[in-house]
Amino acid sequence: MDFSELSHQTEIRDSLDKILNEYCSQERLKEYDSNFKHDENLLSLLSTNGFLGLGLNEKYGGSGEDLYDLGILFERLGYHAAPLSLSGCLVDVAQTIQKFSNEESCNEILSSIIAGEVYTSAILEPSNQDPENPITTAKMEDNQLIISGTKYLSEITSIAKSLLISVNSDEGVLLVLVDSDQVQLTELTSTANSPLFKVELDSVRVNRESIIHEKGRGLEALRYLIQINMVMRSYIALGVTEKMTSLIAGYTSEREQFGRVIGTFQAVSHKAADCFIELECLRLVNQQASINLNSNLDCENEALVSKIWAGNACHKISYSAQHLHGGMGVDKDYVLWRYCLLAKECELINGSSSQNIDRLGKNLTTNQ
Amino acid sequence: MLIQLNQKQIKLQNELQEYFESLITPALRAELNEPEHFEGGGPEFKKAMRTMGSDGWIGLSWKKEFGGKELSPIEQYIFVETVMRTGFPFPFLTTESVGPMIAEHGSAWAKEEIATKILKGELIFGIGYSEPNSGTDLASLQTKAIKQTDGYLINGQKMWTSLANFSDYIWLATRTDFEAKNHKGISMFIVPTDDPGFSMSAINTLGDVRTNATFYDNIHIPENHLVGELNQGWSLITSQLNLERLALVNHGPVEELYKDVLKTARSTKINNDQYLSDLSWVKHNFAQVHSGIEALKLICWKQTWIMESGQLNMAEASVAKVYGSEFFIEAYRLMMEIMGELSILKNNSELTILNARLERMYRTASILTFGGGTNEVQRDIIAMAGLLMPRTR
Repeated sequence: MDFSELSHQTEIRDSLDKILNEYCSQERLKEYDSNFKHDENLLSLLSTNGFLGLGLNEKYGGSGEDLYDLGILFERLGYHAAPLSLSGCLVDVAQTIQKFSNEESCNEILSSIIAGEVYTSAILEPSNQDPENPITTAKMEDNQLIISGTKYLSEITSIAKSLLISVNSDEGVLLVLVDSDQVQLTELTSTANSPLFKVELDSVRVNRESIIHEKGRGLEALRYLIQINMVMRSYIALGVTEKMTSLIAGYTSEREQFGRVIGTFQAVSHKAADCFIELECLRLVNQQASINLNSNLDCENEALVSKIWAGNACHKISYSAQHLHGGMGVDKDYVLWRYCLLAKECELINGSSSQNIDRLGKNLTTNQ
Repeated sequence: MLIQLNQKQIKLQNELQEYFESLITPALRAELNEPEHFEGGGPEFKKAMRTMGSDGWIGLSWKKEFGGKELSPIEQYIFVETVMRTGFPFPFLTTESVGPMIAEHGSAWAKEEIATKILKGELIFGIGYSEPNSGTDLASLQTKAIKQTDGYLINGQKMWTSLANFSDYIWLATRTDFEAKNHKGISMFIVPTDDPGFSMSAINTLGDVRTNATFYDNIHIPENHLVGELNQGWSLITSQLNLERLALVNHGPVEELYKDVLKTARSTKINNDQYLSDLSWVKHNFAQVHSGIEALKLICWKQTWIMESGQLNMAEASVAKVYGSEFFIEAYRLMMEIMGELSILKNNSELTILNARLERMYRTASILTFGGGTNEVQRDIIAMAGLLMPRTR
């Protein structure tokens, strides 16, 4: 048992904070409130400093396969509300390929991701509650797949080289890399102004070689992708809620009413303490899930538990933070409001707490 | 970072499970089912405690000089978790919180006579903190210890002295300096319950757990019964409470109950082709309980791991206490919902399920939100020590 961070992990956190403090100032974030929310300068700086290789094996130029390292990156991106959406690229594509693709694809794709090339994924589908069972289909024709269907909430797709897509076929579930110029994109406008897209595939033809995994391992790879995405997005939620909680502590320790700082009222400090408890729980379940995924490709229940806590913490801490800040909490000249938007995005992407409670409950009552 | 038990620890867990299966005999079970022995104290209970002690289990993480094995606090936690899963009323406040304080701060006599006997399972302590007019504001306590030439003279009254009816000693908080304010001027003593000046009256509680009002009438005790420095008792109280808070919310019993309720729900037919566990709301309740237990387990493991490297952090001990105590209440409710009306049947009734554990547990659940330091004070501590907010008033 060891809950301590290794020294290199603390260094990752510290040096990320240095960069992100500069790149995520209020002034800079303002620029992305209505524009395409992707800071390519920041992305290339992260690449130059080796942060895009977190969680990837040294032989591809990464810094080691520990998923907790990668979790720190997403936590800090969340904490600083960074204008970067990287879970499709660094989690879905990079991690799934690392675990399920051959050496050649790993060499090619992982090293280009580390160098700053953008990939993404398109997994979720409108009106499909079960991402493990895609509605998007691939027909086999000779050595080709013909893919049709609609995906959504795909990140930064307009600047991505290729997309990793989940499809159903005669051979079961497949994960396929498709070039982005083969699909039709529509930018979606979403609550946190994240760069999310609808992706339409109308009889898109790709070669069999575009399937990233061995024959018969598609469902396993997709399940892994979904789980690791849940956990890494829960790290974004952790950063977002950590920031909101520290804003609560700071603001209520300074704001005076009735001749004293409002943090000295129990009604206020206890609401803050509840946020702290929620945050501690989220941190721990995230740590457990990411560490278990290091050595086990299937940790569905741990991933669900972390997602459930993330959804609940985002909701509770966001509204507590807004409430305790009074009008400041909703003032767009103050910092909090962006986090409230991100919190709602974190809460709902990959399914709400209720939906995941349903899924976890099924697992608990049937699988054991 | 590594968040799991290692092979040795899993082996220890299995070994302990087997051990308790043979230790907890039908005679002991029968005794523990008698209301006056719910909390222990009977002859079979005492026998089992001494057996655990002589088999070396109670002090896994204790120093060898006291008879311990110097394993880590994780092994100690596993022991307590496993014994509590069996339903045995293990006196963890004696062994996990008062014992370590005496081992660290006691006089030579206390270390030799008291600490070692705690590890042998021969001694039980009651905790004498609260008084009729001093509860949450513990530092206002009035029980006095007056210095004599050859020791101290103790007079006063304590409330909620649980286990006093079969304790050998009371871990007693007294005022020794009457000029000093608040937290200064408090001292800790080991007070024998066989002194003629000691008496008690029973307080029967909602959960059928007996507690006591205890009275201290001109009890004379020797100098070596003082623990720590004179007038410096407050830090012993807070350290003891940090240990107590962790021990109170051990995740073992609630997880054991969850497993048993799950097993029962999966084998309870509600009609010809459906089991209780097939209902979606039942699944939801299980998932809520499970995700709550996961967080509790991790909080406890982390706390235990922190103990390995040194002092418990105040904010985190309070997080464990608040989260755990409030989660227990919620978990019992969710599980009682699953078992429905059956869960209000008592132990001696027909049709009772799970030995009416749910029916008893929900009645004892409220104790933990105020016992061991009320949750309001814990939240004050979290805001102050965890979030660095100003002190509330």
